[in-house]
Amino acid sequence: MNKKQKRMGMIVTVLAIAGLAVALTLTALSQSVAYFYTPSELQALAAPPASTIRLGGLVEDGSVNYSEANSASVSFTVTDGGASTIVSYEGILPDLFREGQGVVVQGSLDADGLLVADTVLAKHDENYMPKELADALKEQGRWQDGSD
Amino acid sequence: MASISELANPQRFEGLAQAVSPYAVGVAFITLVAGLYYALFNSPADYQQGESVRIMYVHVPAAWMAMFCYSSMAIASAVGFIWKHPLADVAAKETAPIGAGFTFLALFTGAFWGKPMWGAWWVWDARLTSVLILLFLYLGYMALWQAIPDKIRAARLAAILAIVGFVNVPIIKFSVDWWNSLHQPASILRADGPTIDGSMLTPLFLMIAAYMALFTAMLLQSMRNELVARRVARLDMAADAATSTLVETPSAASQS
Amino acid sequence: MSALAAIIWRDVRLAFRAGGGALQAVAFFALVVVLFSLAVGPDIALMRKIAGPVLWTAALLATLISLDQIWRADREDGSLDIIVETSDALPLTAAAKAAAHWFSTGLPLIIATPILGVILNLPASAYVPVLMSLAIGTPGLSLIGAFASALAVSLPRANLLISIIVAPLYAPILIFGAGASIAGAAGAAQYAPNLMLLGAATLFAALFSPIASAAALRSNLD
Repeated sequence: MNKKQKRMGMIVTVLAIAGLAVALTLTALSQSVAYFYTPSELQALAAPPASTIRLGGLVEDGSVNYSEANSASVSFTVTDGGASTIVSYEGILPDLFREGQGVVVQGSLDADGLLVADTVLAKHDENYMPKELADALKEQGRWQDGSD
Repeated sequence: MASISELANPQRFEGLAQAVSPYAVGVAFITLVAGLYYALFNSPADYQQGESVRIMYVHVPAAWMAMFCYSSMAIASAVGFIWKHPLADVAAKETAPIGAGFTFLALFTGAFWGKPMWGAWWVWDARLTSVLILLFLYLGYMALWQAIPDKIRAARLAAILAIVGFVNVPIIKFSVDWWNSLHQPASILRADGPTIDGSMLTPLFLMIAAYMALFTAMLLQSMRNELVARRVARLDMAADAATSTLVETPSAASQS
Repeated sequence: MSALAAIIWRDVRLAFRAGGGALQAVAFFALVVVLFSLAVGPDIALMRKIAGPVLWTAALLATLISLDQIWRADREDGSLDIIVETSDALPLTAAAKAAAHWFSTGLPLIIATPILGVILNLPASAYVPVLMSLAIGTPGLSLIGAFASALAVSLPRANLLISIIVAPLYAPILIFGAGASIAGAAGAAQYAPNLMLLGAATLFAALFSPIASAAALRSNLD
């Protein structure tokens, strides 16, 4: 092999490695390496994961039920529009927790597919505005639900 | 030893720094006072987050500066490495502690924002993890400078490390798009325009201007300090060399 | 090509000789694992859960303590100057040194992993994911480590400095490697993406680390 061929070989090798690395990254990112599952993803799993999982989605409107016996005990439904999962939790909820708002819930699934949560985190989106403006937009019907 | 350009450039820099520094300090002071006034008193509460939204005005600019400082450091490192420009090396070296400070500020204020909003001080999601890695990159870069006594060699090696570490910057930026993270996606730098109301953009941009001016003022001052320290070290060495050749006593010879 | 093979062969032989670094790394790996299981105590359920991440962390630490040696011996006996002066493609030489480090450190760690897995009560379903992720990830550790070690080659006793420099660069490999071993053991969907990102990290390291190592060596010797 002369020097020129060697150089060509090097360039081809480098390009092949770079191409493979980029292809792997893009493929991996198109599947999700998620901080959390969505309810639909959870439903699509062949077998429910045995260990601790995180579930992300919106708290369904009207689904929040505080237990009568114990006010710290609460159950609610997390939905992503397609599927939904019922979550039960005992403890203090974050300030931002409310119906229609995004949450990430951590816990384990019981036999009935109910998620028994040990942590509830509220997720806020990228929209910031004063309350008056939000109300005005809702009144005028120009409110775009940022729930995605 | 020192080439002509090495002596000439720091002197020109000294003149420039002396001229710019007072303005940078002044702008930093005015924008910081105005920004904090708007952030704390003259901007609305958020429709979701209430008063806690005010943490954004110290957190977001700090996070931007953390990435801006690293990018500047990597660019200065590349310039210093390729063109062997000592002033660029000094700029890169002195940017690191400031950038590390902004990174720490972003993480710290983020924790105090995360607790009331998310319900957790810290989560290991992609954005938080990659910013923590950024802090460690800054610390490693500073440790490398610290460890190598020869300034020229230290500059070249630290520059290589800074350039390699730059891979983390796009990862930080896009972490919230690539992975489902708890951290929100971008609010300002997005294709369809900012999703923050105008009344909240005023304090945010004022604070960004304040941090930029503060960064400029601090960088100029610490670069001047470093250049003076180097000149002192050179004079010390020259003085030592002169005395040891002049006074060739046995005790001095055995000490050296 | 034969020159590079000669470098790898020579380094591996030196590492496995008495006083070489290869067995030290495996011994350290075993030590961390045993100490960890002593610290956790008799809670087998907890142990099974964390066994994969513990193996990954221990493997990373064992790699870390061996990094200082990559260029040290060559530097001390003067052969590093000759390597840098005579090599017509220094990045390739650096890649060969990283490969030799993997053969003498990464590979023995992988071979020792199944045995240590028993101590940690590693679940049966986790063996393949842990071994697979280590096989993909440890070459990346050696490549990045060779770069950090090259940065510090002119300093005496640089182990701590190398650890500080290399820790943030190792973080993605640890995250994806441990992530893959957890997801694989649980049969979760994140197994494949984690392995792919791990593979991508190692490949990117293979691209950039030899070039950066070569630049660091040149800067250290002139």
